[in-house]
Amino acid sequence: MEYLLTVMVLIGINVILATSFNLILGYGGLMSVAHPIFYAIGAYCSGLLAIHLQIPVPLSILIGAGIAMVLSFGVSLPSLRVSGDYLVIASIGFQLGILHVINNLEFTGAAGGLTNIPVLNEGPSRSLVFVLLIAVVAACAVMLVGWIVEGDYGRAITAMRNDEEAFSALGRNAMNIKIVLFAIGSGMAGLAGALYAHYFAYVTPEQFGIFTSAALLTMVVVGGAATTWGPLVGAVLLTTLPQAITFLGLPVSIMAPLQGVIYTTLVISFLFARPQGLTGGTRGGGGLEAWSASAAFRARRRAE
Amino acid sequence: MSAIVRVEDLHKSFGGIVVADDVNLSFEAGEIVGLIGPNGAGKTSLFNLISGVIPPDAGAIFVESHRVDQLPMHHRARIGLARTWQNTRMFHSMSVIDNLLIATRRYPGESLARILFRRRSVDAFRQEATEKAMVLLERVGLADKMHEMAIELSYGQQKRIGLARALMSDAACLLLDEPMAGVEGQAYETIIRVIREEAQAGRAVCVVEHNISFIRDISDRTVFMFNGCVLASGSVDELTRDSQLTDLYFGGEHPQ
Repeated sequence: MEYLLTVMVLIGINVILATSFNLILGYGGLMSVAHPIFYAIGAYCSGLLAIHLQIPVPLSILIGAGIAMVLSFGVSLPSLRVSGDYLVIASIGFQLGILHVINNLEFTGAAGGLTNIPVLNEGPSRSLVFVLLIAVVAACAVMLVGWIVEGDYGRAITAMRNDEEAFSALGRNAMNIKIVLFAIGSGMAGLAGALYAHYFAYVTPEQFGIFTSAALLTMVVVGGAATTWGPLVGAVLLTTLPQAITFLGLPVSIMAPLQGVIYTTLVISFLFARPQGLTGGTRGGGGLEAWSASAAFRARRRAE
Repeated sequence: MSAIVRVEDLHKSFGGIVVADDVNLSFEAGEIVGLIGPNGAGKTSLFNLISGVIPPDAGAIFVESHRVDQLPMHHRARIGLARTWQNTRMFHSMSVIDNLLIATRRYPGESLARILFRRRSVDAFRQEATEKAMVLLERVGLADKMHEMAIELSYGQQKRIGLARALMSDAACLLLDEPMAGVEGQAYETIIRVIREEAQAGRAVCVVEHNISFIRDISDRTVFMFNGCVLASGSVDELTRDSQLTDLYFGGEHPQ
C-alpha cells in the first residue's frame, strides 16, 4: 500500500512537471530542455531554507517555487536572442552549469545529496494525505495551463509559436510572452521539486540531469504536445511503465540503461509515426512541429 | 503632404553584399509609392530594415516624428508600421479570423493580468477587433472564409488575408511585399481598390511588385532600386523610357 501511494506521489509530481514543460515546449514552442533544473532549484531551495533557517515547510515550498520562477530568467533571457536548436544548447548549458554548482557545494550536500529535509506532514496516514494534496496541486496545474492557453492569450501564444517574426511585425510583444511562459512553467516545476523534497526528505543532483529532461520530453511527446491532457496521460504512463518493469526482476545493470532505451525509442517512434501524441487530434505536435514535420516528411518519402 | 516614413542614409551589408547603399527615401501621407527593381535589388531588404527584421549598419529611420531604427519590431509596428510578406506568413495552425485578431491595435490577450482583472475591457477589445476583422474580410472578398484554416487557402487568398491582417492596426504606413503574386481576376481589382482606399484615408503606402502594369495602375511615384541603391524615381513611363534602367531590370550590369 505504501508502495502504491509512493508511486502515486511520483505520478502527481510528474504530471505537474510534464504539464508545465508542455506550456513552455509544446504551446510556447520554446525549445528548452532545462526544465528539471527548476525542479532542482525548487527542491534544494525549499529544503535548505527549511533545514538551515527553520522556515515552516509550507512557506519554504512557496519560496522555493518563487525562486525557481525568478531564476527562469536564466533561460528566458537567452530565448529572446536565440531559438530552436540554439536554445536547446543554451538551456543545456544553463542546466548542467547549475547542476555542477550543486554537485560541488558543501552546503547542498554535493554529490551525496541533501538529506534530512523536514517532511511536510507526519502521522500514520501521511502518504495518503500527501497523495490527496499532490492530486489537488496537479489538477490545479493542468487547469492553470489550460486557462493560459485558451482564449485571447492562447491565440497570441500560438501565433508566436507559428511565426515569431510575423507576430512581432504585427505589434505584438513576443518577449513578454516568453518571459511569462518560462516564469509560470518554471515556477510550477519548482513547486513540484519542493513538494518532492518535503515528501522523500532526500534529493540528489543526479535526479535533475539530462536523463530527467529526456523523461519529461518523452511524457510530453507521447501524451501529445500542445494538448491539455497529453502530458497527464504521458506522465501516468511513463511513471508506471518503469515501475512495472521492476517486477520483471532484471538485474540493475540492465534495468537502468533499459529505461533510457525505452524513453528514446518512444520519443523517436512517436515523432515519426504519431507526432500529435496519444491524445492529439489530426494536426498537432505544437512546438515540436518542426521536428515532427521533418520526420513525417522523411517517412512519407520512404513510403513512396 | 507630410512624410510618414523617412529613411536617411540607410546602409546595410551582409559581408560583401550591399543590400542598402545610402538609401534616402520618404513616403508621404496619402501617397502610393511603387518600388521596383530586379531580384536582389534590395527591395525586400529595405522593408526588413524599416520594419525591424534586420538592424541597419548605419543611417536613420523615422516614422512620423519617432526615430525607430533602434527599436524592436513590435514597437515600430505600434508606432505606425504594418507590412505584408512575400510568402504570406500566415499563422498556420490558426483560422483566418484569428490571424486577423492578432493584428489589432488593442489586442485583448496582451497580458494575463488584464485578462484576469479587467474582463470587461478585454471583452470590449475583442468585440471591437472582431467587428473590424469582419469588415476587412468583407473588403478583400473573403468573408466566407473566416473560419477556415488560413494555411488551407490558395496562395492568392492568403495574400489577401495578409493584406487584411496588415490593415487591422490602422498603421500610418503600409509596406506591401508583392501583394499581387498569385492574385488573379476579380481579386486583382479588389486589391487595387483596397490599396487606393487606404491611401485616400491618409496612409503612406509602399508596394514592391514585379507586375509593372500593376505598379503603373496604382502608384503615384515609382522608385527604381538596383544593388541596394535608389537609382531613379518618377512615373513608370519615365523609368521605362530610360533604356539604361530597362537593361538593368532585365539583367544588365551596374553602370560604373
